[in-house]
Amino acid sequence: MLIDLSHIQRLYRSDEVETTALLDIELGIESGEFVAIMGPSGCGKSTLLNILGTIDRPTGGSYQFGGQELTALGEAALAAFRRENLGYVFQSFNLIDELTIEENIELALIYRRMPRAERRERVAHAMDHVGIAHRARHYPSQLSGGQQQRAAIARAIVGAPRLILADEPTGNLDTENGAQVMDILQRLNDEGATIVMVTHSPSHADLAKRRVDMLDGQIVISVRNAI
Amino acid sequence: MLATILKSVVRQIRRHPLYVGLNVFGLALGIGVFLTLALLVRYEYGFNAGLPDGDRLARVDAHWTLPGVAPGEYASSSFHALPFMLQDFPEIEAAVRLRGTGLRVVRDGAFVALDSYQTDPSFFRVFGLKLLHGVADRALAQPDGLVLSDRAAIRLFGTTDVMGRVVPLNRGGVTVNHVVTGVLASRTTPDFLSGVELLAPIPSSELGFSCFVSWGSDCGSVYLKLRRPGDIAALNARMRDFVIRHAAGADNDANAIGQHPEKVFGLSLMPLREARFRDFHVLYADDGVDRAVIDGIGLMGVLALALACANAVNLATARAGLRAREVAIRKTLGAARRVLFVQFMGEAMLLAACAGVLGLVLCEMLVPALASLTGEALAVRYGLVGGLLPLIVIVCGFASGVYPAMVLSGYRPAAVLAATRMPSGGRGAARLRDGLVAGQFGIAVTIVICMLVINHQTAFMRSADPGYTRAGLLIGSAMPGGDLAAQRRLLDALRTVPGVAAASFGELAPSPDNKTRSTYRYDGPAGPVRVHLLQDTVSTRYFDVYRPRLLAGRWFDAARGQDDLPLPAEQASHTVSAILNRVAVSRFGFASPDAAIGKGLDTDGLHARIIGVIDDVRFESPRQAIYPEIMFFDTLAKRPLMEPIPAVRFEGVVPSEMARRLNRAWVGVLPDAAGEFSAVDVKMAAYYTGDERRGRIFTLGAAAALLIACLGLYGLAAFAAARRMHEVGIRKTLGATGRQVVVLLLADFLRPVALACVLACPVAWMLMRRWLAGFDERIALTPAHFLIAVAGAFAIAILTVLGQTFHLARAEPARALRAE
Repeated sequence: MLIDLSHIQRLYRSDEVETTALLDIELGIESGEFVAIMGPSGCGKSTLLNILGTIDRPTGGSYQFGGQELTALGEAALAAFRRENLGYVFQSFNLIDELTIEENIELALIYRRMPRAERRERVAHAMDHVGIAHRARHYPSQLSGGQQQRAAIARAIVGAPRLILADEPTGNLDTENGAQVMDILQRLNDEGATIVMVTHSPSHADLAKRRVDMLDGQIVISVRNAI
Repeated sequence: MLATILKSVVRQIRRHPLYVGLNVFGLALGIGVFLTLALLVRYEYGFNAGLPDGDRLARVDAHWTLPGVAPGEYASSSFHALPFMLQDFPEIEAAVRLRGTGLRVVRDGAFVALDSYQTDPSFFRVFGLKLLHGVADRALAQPDGLVLSDRAAIRLFGTTDVMGRVVPLNRGGVTVNHVVTGVLASRTTPDFLSGVELLAPIPSSELGFSCFVSWGSDCGSVYLKLRRPGDIAALNARMRDFVIRHAAGADNDANAIGQHPEKVFGLSLMPLREARFRDFHVLYADDGVDRAVIDGIGLMGVLALALACANAVNLATARAGLRAREVAIRKTLGAARRVLFVQFMGEAMLLAACAGVLGLVLCEMLVPALASLTGEALAVRYGLVGGLLPLIVIVCGFASGVYPAMVLSGYRPAAVLAATRMPSGGRGAARLRDGLVAGQFGIAVTIVICMLVINHQTAFMRSADPGYTRAGLLIGSAMPGGDLAAQRRLLDALRTVPGVAAASFGELAPSPDNKTRSTYRYDGPAGPVRVHLLQDTVSTRYFDVYRPRLLAGRWFDAARGQDDLPLPAEQASHTVSAILNRVAVSRFGFASPDAAIGKGLDTDGLHARIIGVIDDVRFESPRQAIYPEIMFFDTLAKRPLMEPIPAVRFEGVVPSEMARRLNRAWVGVLPDAAGEFSAVDVKMAAYYTGDERRGRIFTLGAAAALLIACLGLYGLAAFAAARRMHEVGIRKTLGATGRQVVVLLLADFLRPVALACVLACPVAWMLMRRWLAGFDERIALTPAHFLIAVAGAFAIAILTVLGQTFHLARAEPARALRAE
């Protein structure tokens, strides 16, 4: 099993209020799976995705990735883990405005201290893969939403991660661009990538191999789609 | 509109106290520094301007072009010229001689030193100074009259009501009673007479002194009041003919300057209104100030203001994005661009006005500090400040408000409201911000380098080898007259004081008052070489007292009869032993100090043979070139020295105690003459204090400039912390470690600082090279000055942004991604 979440809990505390975002989450994901997480706003989907992506820490429970317990790791070790294993796609693309598309995609590889020539080769391949090679020297603000999201996907896959996390990747796109993004994700999954995607769209969720429904911080349904 | 502006500013203060605080305090600091330095510059430019009819006042300067030394202009000139001037130039309305004296007031058996001058009854006609008591025309008319300044009257008698009081004055061991005939009123504007405490008539007994009868001698300055301001230039044009007419004489006429005096001597009129700065290049002028330094201080004030304005622009453009939504909503509700522009300009003006008031408070606090730093009577003059402040507020308000107001009022509401992120003003605004930070730090680093060099040079001057050993050396006052027996008694008395290792006399000493110069001729193989030499005659043990460095030959020896200076009447038939300094050797053209030994030198009625060469000895300002010098020896067996200055080398006693013992010994021999022993550093202090004070002003300016620049950088770092949080979230999500983020952010923050250093170093190098050229002895401009300033700028910049950088780098990625 690639991912094994056990009794995961996430509480947010302020001076007067304690909010439970996740409660006793049990979830296992095999390598090569495409999991869609659904649920109403505030049910904890994004929190779960953030914990899977190690950019947020659970307040309880265990998170094992490929047999390695992640909850005990320090900040630097988690950064190294993310560099080597994860790729992200966000609803709002999260490209850095001051960098070109090419530089944005390259960023993940720079943190891996990869040689420049190899970086360039991989970036070119990733851009080809999502069809934005002709926009390499443009800045994010010069691209359409669909193009920006494809650039974000290229950035997510350029390091050949073991897990791709997508947080409502079609949320800011029109139908046509949304369909294109889903096509790319499906293609990546067919090529062997493990993907966990948060979405509000039932039709996009149906394109995944498994669907997990959440409510009030808990997983209520986990079913395999008939594809 | 005014109410809206006021409300908006109050809310900004409440919601963003850091931003408003940085903006207002930075601007206030700039305004405060500018006002303070403007007062100082105004003080210097207004020097002598307060003297009545100041544009018609001039000092007669002498110009000497003497063999072997650089031509020089002197603030003193022969009193002998004055009667001829009055006779030749009807343009002169009044004239006065002014002569600094060693007068002491005798009070309760002790000598009180006052800044005293001997002068003519016409003093008040020329300078027009007001008397608190007495009648100006008669105040100095009677030979025993005396004018005290109001401060001196209070110091001596505790009151200014002192007319008719008797004041015993001591000069050269003789005490004469004078009667107060006038009390000088204090003036609010600075001039060269501000320090005068006592004026007494020139005694008729001294009118036979050489400076009253000889063209080539001087002992004070002559001041003229012309009928019209233009007369100064007119007389200057006629001075050469005047010199030819009156100063020429036969070669054997000691009171004339040869048959062609115009070849070596000249006279000119120095307008007093211009004297403050021009005197910097005039010898024997006490009040000269380097205009370039004063302009530099003024420029520093303008730059401090510019830095503060740049800060305000920086912070305002950085903040503009945060107000984009407010602007978009206002526009959606119908606000016109013009209305918004006026509102934002109004806010900037209001903040500038707040800063102006705070700046004035800072100025009130800084001026007394600056007055004590500079030693000048600086005060906040509301006439100047009242005129400047509103102007500064408008300029600062406009400068800091116009660009942000244009950016803010120009936002398109639909784009702003649809955007997920706040606009930053684009790459143009980012470049502007980086450019302003680079400019700010560039100016600050330039000032810091200048400050380091000035302070280093000042310290170097203090500690530079003067050619003799300063530690353990005390110098006394000049002994009055030429009483051989008294001189022997004093030397004997000094030598028996416990702790004294050696005591001696010299006619020259550190910061000498009286100097004798003559032209000496060396008949070399290529023909005669003439050099104008400063003369010093020293007594036994001088070498042990001063410890000069002997470069060649030998020192004077009391056992060798030919070393001892003969009586004047016997000089013509003797060959006198002499020692030269290194400069004199080179001016005569000797290949080396050794080559000079045994050579003969001649001057009127005296033939000297060089027996030794010593290294140059510096008794005067480090700005002045060392004068070629010749030394003679007097064992006090036959002839006295003229007004010799005792010097003592001591051991095993603290200097203050040694001075007390020596002063007691002086009183035992010369009870009627004022005398005081002090350390060389005290004697030479006047030569250094000006540069030291200006060094302190530059230190103050550098600190202010750095503080303002850091405020700006801190503001930008705080802005970046807010704006780049999201970016940091993305980078950390992609695997960046906290350290990598710190490095990235620091590099971004420090890039403009690096650019600033690259720009500042050549500018500072050019400025300081020019400044150092004004010193005869100076430090080398080394990379260390630049490296220290650059390292300091980086260290301060890093400290300024480090807190914000760590705050950013430590942000949890998930939370950072939710930012904005």
